[in-house]
Amino acid sequence: MEALQKSAREALENHKAKVIIGYSEGSGGRMRPIFVQSPAEAEKLTWNDRCTQNLAVYIAKPEVQKLGKPALVAPLPVLRAVLQLASENQIKEGDLLVLALSDGRVTELSQFSEMEEFVAKTPTHLASKDQEAIERLEKMTPQERWQYWQSELTRCFKCYACRAACPMCYCSRCTVECNQPQWIPVPAHPLGNWEWHLMRAMHLAGRCVSCGACGDACPLDIPIHLLTMKVEADIHREFGSQAGMKVQSEHALSSFKVQDKENFII
Amino acid sequence: MARIGVFVCHCGENIGATVDCARVAEACRKIPGVAHSVDYKYMCSDPGQTLIREAIAQNKLTGVVVAACSPRMHEPTFRRVCSESGLNPYLCEMANLREHCSWVHEKSDVTTDKAIDLVAMLVEKVKRNKPLHPIKVPVTKTALVLGGGISGIQAALDIANAGHKVILVERDPSIGGHMSQLSETFPTLDCSQCILTPRMVEVAQHPNITLYTYSELESLDGFIGNFKTRIRKKARSLDEKLCTGCGLCTTKCPNKKIPSEFNTGLGMRTAIYVPFPQAVPNKPVIDREHCTYYTKGRCRVCEKVCPTQAIRFDQEDQIVEHEVGAVVVATGFTVKETDFFPEYGYGKYKDVINGLQFERILSASGPTLGEVKRPSDGRVPETVVFIACAGSRDPAKGIEYCSKICCMYTAKHAMLYKHKVHHGQAYVFYMDIRAAGKMYDEFTRRAIEEDHVQYIRGRVSRIYERNGKLIVQGADTLLNAMPVEIEADLVVLATAGVANEGAEALAQKLHVSYDSHKFFVEAHPKLRPVETNTAGVFLAGACQSPKDIPESVGQASGTAAKVAALFSMDELTREPVVAVVNRTAPPLYSTCVGCFLCQSACPYQAIEREEIKNRNGQVVKTIAKVNPGLCQGCGTCVAFCRSKSIDLQGYTHEQVYAEVMELLS
Repeated sequence: MEALQKSAREALENHKAKVIIGYSEGSGGRMRPIFVQSPAEAEKLTWNDRCTQNLAVYIAKPEVQKLGKPALVAPLPVLRAVLQLASENQIKEGDLLVLALSDGRVTELSQFSEMEEFVAKTPTHLASKDQEAIERLEKMTPQERWQYWQSELTRCFKCYACRAACPMCYCSRCTVECNQPQWIPVPAHPLGNWEWHLMRAMHLAGRCVSCGACGDACPLDIPIHLLTMKVEADIHREFGSQAGMKVQSEHALSSFKVQDKENFII
Repeated sequence: MARIGVFVCHCGENIGATVDCARVAEACRKIPGVAHSVDYKYMCSDPGQTLIREAIAQNKLTGVVVAACSPRMHEPTFRRVCSESGLNPYLCEMANLREHCSWVHEKSDVTTDKAIDLVAMLVEKVKRNKPLHPIKVPVTKTALVLGGGISGIQAALDIANAGHKVILVERDPSIGGHMSQLSETFPTLDCSQCILTPRMVEVAQHPNITLYTYSELESLDGFIGNFKTRIRKKARSLDEKLCTGCGLCTTKCPNKKIPSEFNTGLGMRTAIYVPFPQAVPNKPVIDREHCTYYTKGRCRVCEKVCPTQAIRFDQEDQIVEHEVGAVVVATGFTVKETDFFPEYGYGKYKDVINGLQFERILSASGPTLGEVKRPSDGRVPETVVFIACAGSRDPAKGIEYCSKICCMYTAKHAMLYKHKVHHGQAYVFYMDIRAAGKMYDEFTRRAIEEDHVQYIRGRVSRIYERNGKLIVQGADTLLNAMPVEIEADLVVLATAGVANEGAEALAQKLHVSYDSHKFFVEAHPKLRPVETNTAGVFLAGACQSPKDIPESVGQASGTAAKVAALFSMDELTREPVVAVVNRTAPPLYSTCVGCFLCQSACPYQAIEREEIKNRNGQVVKTIAKVNPGLCQGCGTCVAFCRSKSIDLQGYTHEQVYAEVMELLS
């Protein structure tokens, strides 16, 4: 904690960054993001297990960009999101500074190559509760799984908090807002909910950094993060690629290699 | 308000016998926006076209739906009719009632209902069609010919003689292909090399032909008229400009025991070698796999003896790039080796050989200098058994097709053997004699009647060795499957002709389709036999299916005519069915967020980056841009774009959605 506050203070004092995007204590035991712009405020920064929001969601926002070059307090998923955003041409080298967190230590990273090295050294496995949940779903019969998701997704009332929490949902116009024609229906009825969540899973296939922020953001606690995590794990297993590991990476769904498996073709 | 005309075609009995066309026309009249709806026996006929022309004028139609056959068949016809009637051709669409309805269903009311649905979908689409204008692209008048066998040579010469530039690429150190390996050719028995080598020399000397031997295609990008190609010139380890082809290096090379590919393993060559004396170009190549210098690090004898100091041990592969307008694929075929046949000894008997090896034994320039000697002990074989259909027409071996050339060359082999060994006996085991062709049947009859070759109709079940003889066991099916056993000195298998090694990878580089046997597929088996489904890529010779020399040459000339026709135009007109990235008002400029994942998804490298600048020249946004010249309208980017910022002209989201909704309504 002190190491983090010290790094943040130094980054502001030495003009390496104009604003620190980090976590601070919110209300009701929830953590909230904080935008620290003066060294004196750095003491408000904190870091604990309750910090689940992915802060990379802020860096592409125009109102945040107006504050100047940011430094991002980055546990591993945030760092991976930064690299994935870079691979999708959303941020450029030197646009931001990263205060990477691991094992209570803070490492200041400014180059993408440093971030890649850092990510490569850190294990990327899922949290055990998510892993177990996915395994439980895999063990179900297709009918049971269908029932499960039907009952879960029917509850959704399309607040789009999942979309707002996801660092990869940065489109200036989301598909659901395309109304000529309206491919995805607006009302929160079961079919429309299905279409929205399946589309979201497909749009994140090969891009999801498995931070779980979407599931945490859901006010109804629908475990939608399991959909994207499962797709991501499948892609990793089948094609060997993992989102948010490298800036120069070939997107699994948009690239073709002769040795790609075709075992899904019956 | 839209005023759509619907024209339902009976296609004679093709649609009319299954679908109630009058009811389709009647039902379509009630669709909102349809101003005119009729049925007619043959819409593509002259009176049928007149019907459309008059309806457009009289009813002031704003769109036309022709419910007939596949748009692949007659879309150009009907679009032309519209265009001549003052309607933009892209306001005309076809509902495929033939392939999608009448041909695949029985006659019934529901079949007619489906036909009505198909037309109604297209009506909804046409209501949303916008006038489009063809795209003009320039043509690069240079052809790339892949493969320097007889097909490639013929195609290259014909195109070059029509006045266009040709780049001929050959994988081996010399052009000539399989034809240069043959002894005599059926049905006239003229010497293969004698008729081929003048053509090879002509290629080398032709001012319009650039020849790359010992080279392979690395990549091909772009589209008809505008391909970009990269060719890998493999290192010959030699400065071709300095080398005079004196051949001193090949005689002095101490590494003389390498099986010669040209002599199908029956003769030996050196590590630095020219495949055969008449090679074009007559410049040697160092085989780095076998050369003592590359394997052990010492020797360099060739370098010492070379009078012009042309040897370059450190030479590296070179990539050359060219822009071409058309590609001719003439990469040929290969034949199965004898080890493919467990029943004939898995290739372990030296005196069981394939047809190509026998060609080399018969050839005056071959390992035996034209004397018929068997490989094992060099004796003149007294009894030779020829087995036709070795592998071919055998579903159990996975080769169901007829290799086409074997009947003829087997008759030739037997005949030539008899001409050289008068007292010898030749037997031919065959399934059928397929000798269709000018002078072909006469040729096989001559082998049987004048040269007394014994033809036995039946298959050989087994070959084994006994006392230095090969025992050939078979059955004569014309004598009630009587068992036949022949003690042979030499057995020649007419092994199946198969696709060349690497055909699959090459097809993928060229974006052409291939069949389950890896032969390249033509655009239409009857009417477009030399084109592929990729515009601007043509086929010649045995890469498409096994072919004899006259057929290969004929096809090569046909392909050359297609290329010459393409090159006769300065500009090509292309369909405006291309993807477009949307533009919106500032500050968004476009809903494209510039993730550029479409760029890697595009199979045609058609997506570029476009910088949007403000009045001060500052870049405010970088978005995707589709190059309409390169885009083939496949729609991959459209499906891939998360924010739906790309639309395909002629197949917009709006149009497709309207079609689907009409079907669901």
